[in-house]
Amino acid sequence: MATLSNRVSRWTLLLFACALANFLAAQGLILVGMTWPARAVSAPGTLAAVHLLVIGWLLLLMLGALFQFVPVITSRPLASQRMALWALIGIEAGLGGMICGFFGIAVSPVLAMALPAGATAVLLGVLAASWNLGVPLIRARPLRLPGRMVLTGLVFLFVTVMLGLSFALAFTVPALAPYLAPLLNAFGDHALAGLGGWFTLTAMGVSYKLLPMFMLAPEDRGIPGDCVHILGTLGFALAVAAGVAQVWVAAGFLRIAQSTGYGAITIAVAIYLWDIRRIYRTRRRRVIEVHNRAAVGAFGLLALGAALAISSLGTGRPEAGAPVGVFLIVFGWLGGLGLTQLYKIIPFLTWLGRYGSRLGRASVPRVQDLVRERRGGPWFVLYFAAILLGGGFALSGSALGFRSCMALVALATVGLVTEYWRAWRGHYARAHQSETAIPPFIANPRG
Amino acid sequence: MTEPFTLDVREMLRSGAEPLPKILQAVGDLAPGQPLRLLATFEPLPLYAVLGRKGFDHSAVRHGEGDWEVLFSPHAADAGPGAAAAAAVPRPSTDEWPRPSAFLDNRGLSPPEPMMRILEALEHLAPGQVLEALNEREPVFLYPELQVRGAAVRTERVGEGVRLLIRCAG
Repeated sequence: MATLSNRVSRWTLLLFACALANFLAAQGLILVGMTWPARAVSAPGTLAAVHLLVIGWLLLLMLGALFQFVPVITSRPLASQRMALWALIGIEAGLGGMICGFFGIAVSPVLAMALPAGATAVLLGVLAASWNLGVPLIRARPLRLPGRMVLTGLVFLFVTVMLGLSFALAFTVPALAPYLAPLLNAFGDHALAGLGGWFTLTAMGVSYKLLPMFMLAPEDRGIPGDCVHILGTLGFALAVAAGVAQVWVAAGFLRIAQSTGYGAITIAVAIYLWDIRRIYRTRRRRVIEVHNRAAVGAFGLLALGAALAISSLGTGRPEAGAPVGVFLIVFGWLGGLGLTQLYKIIPFLTWLGRYGSRLGRASVPRVQDLVRERRGGPWFVLYFAAILLGGGFALSGSALGFRSCMALVALATVGLVTEYWRAWRGHYARAHQSETAIPPFIANPRG
Repeated sequence: MTEPFTLDVREMLRSGAEPLPKILQAVGDLAPGQPLRLLATFEPLPLYAVLGRKGFDHSAVRHGEGDWEVLFSPHAADAGPGAAAAAAVPRPSTDEWPRPSAFLDNRGLSPPEPMMRILEALEHLAPGQVLEALNEREPVFLYPELQVRGAAVRTERVGEGVRLLIRCAG
């Protein structure tokens, strides 16, 4: 018998709101020319924008989704609802500190200390979130594929944050610099652990649950699903470990291990994309909603971004294609998948919170009545097309072309945020509903 | 034990015909205590509720793709000497719960439609009555709403889906 308990995450919508604000702030930095490709990859503006994207946008988005998703896949509540809020506070405050630190390094050693202080706060926030998610995941063992992939992702998240903290200390604490400075050469492995081991494996796990659920396809992914998880885990672990080890030891076998890791990652991504195509093809729901139609753009950009990033790493000239590959993965694959799934998750949570208690007792709108797909769809087309074109301009070295595309990306993002806002406010649902009360960002105890 | 009567509806199902009248006819023709052995191309989940109300337990075996064998056996109280075998079929505990008064097949619907249909159906049931529903998956968002309404729920995995028994408050 199933346990009865509250299944609506209290802080998820607030995390999504903060994440979207950070995403727009990062796009603002790119638009005003403070980042790559107008400036160097290691310029303070680039570092600020990158961390606004990966910590402010993607990390908060992913944690917000997981605080909702993990209790669903484990049938167990989070360790603590309040811990989700502490995680948000730690990460958001820490991110602010880190951004001050990036710009402060060139100004004064005191301001620079905001960098390790901020990184420490992010670490504490991540630990709070990991504990909150890890407790139900570990208690629910043996886990099915999505849960196993999320748990693996959390381990990579810890590795990523620890590497990042080491960089911050190497930059700012002279006493530690002799020991930690060589690690700065491993910033690519920091990115690989974060974007690959954490975000990509976790996003794959979440998609393995959400896509079959809304498209009515078989959830059990069998051997291909296990291959994605095992090869992906081994691939990212091997590539990151061998990459970091080469900071101290330049051994041939480490380079072979690193290349083997890249190979395993490539195969894992290829199997995953094939398997996702299989989910779309074997779905029983013929007409699918716009969030799953648009997600195809994210899967396509994963293929392109991963191919570009891994091929340029494999050829030993990462500076040529890797930044563009990373751009396609951050904006196209992870950001794109996030934006598409928010188009379903926000109306769904709003609908539960607003109409749950009246279901069956009064006429209520359907979840799809909270959105207008004809309005949302074109923004997704613009978003993905602009990312693709922007990647092309970046590859050809045209900073102006890239920034023009980023203006279109920002326009599409603002359009989508407006649609989320309207779904949450009940803008489209008013035709079905006489009341106009606005639901809180923070779900009430019953949801 | 009385030999089961075997009814093969696989050809009917493949040709798109509705086998329910023939099945009910066969059930009506069974000798007291006699089980029905049904051969079908899929697990006939809606039939479990229909024949359950007529006093039959079921046990299903999947022999392969599109090949199911289901044995419907009369309950011990309704049956003759053959009842022991039927009673040995493992069944979820239903304690003092009455037989379901309503049945919903929510397979083929994506969330949250199953939840909406269940909550709507519950409003039409009297206190203490039971609703049986077949879902694609466990309706996790339904549980808090049932709790608020004072309804109790029992969940059982059936093949790829989930069978729910929900008893109204009262």
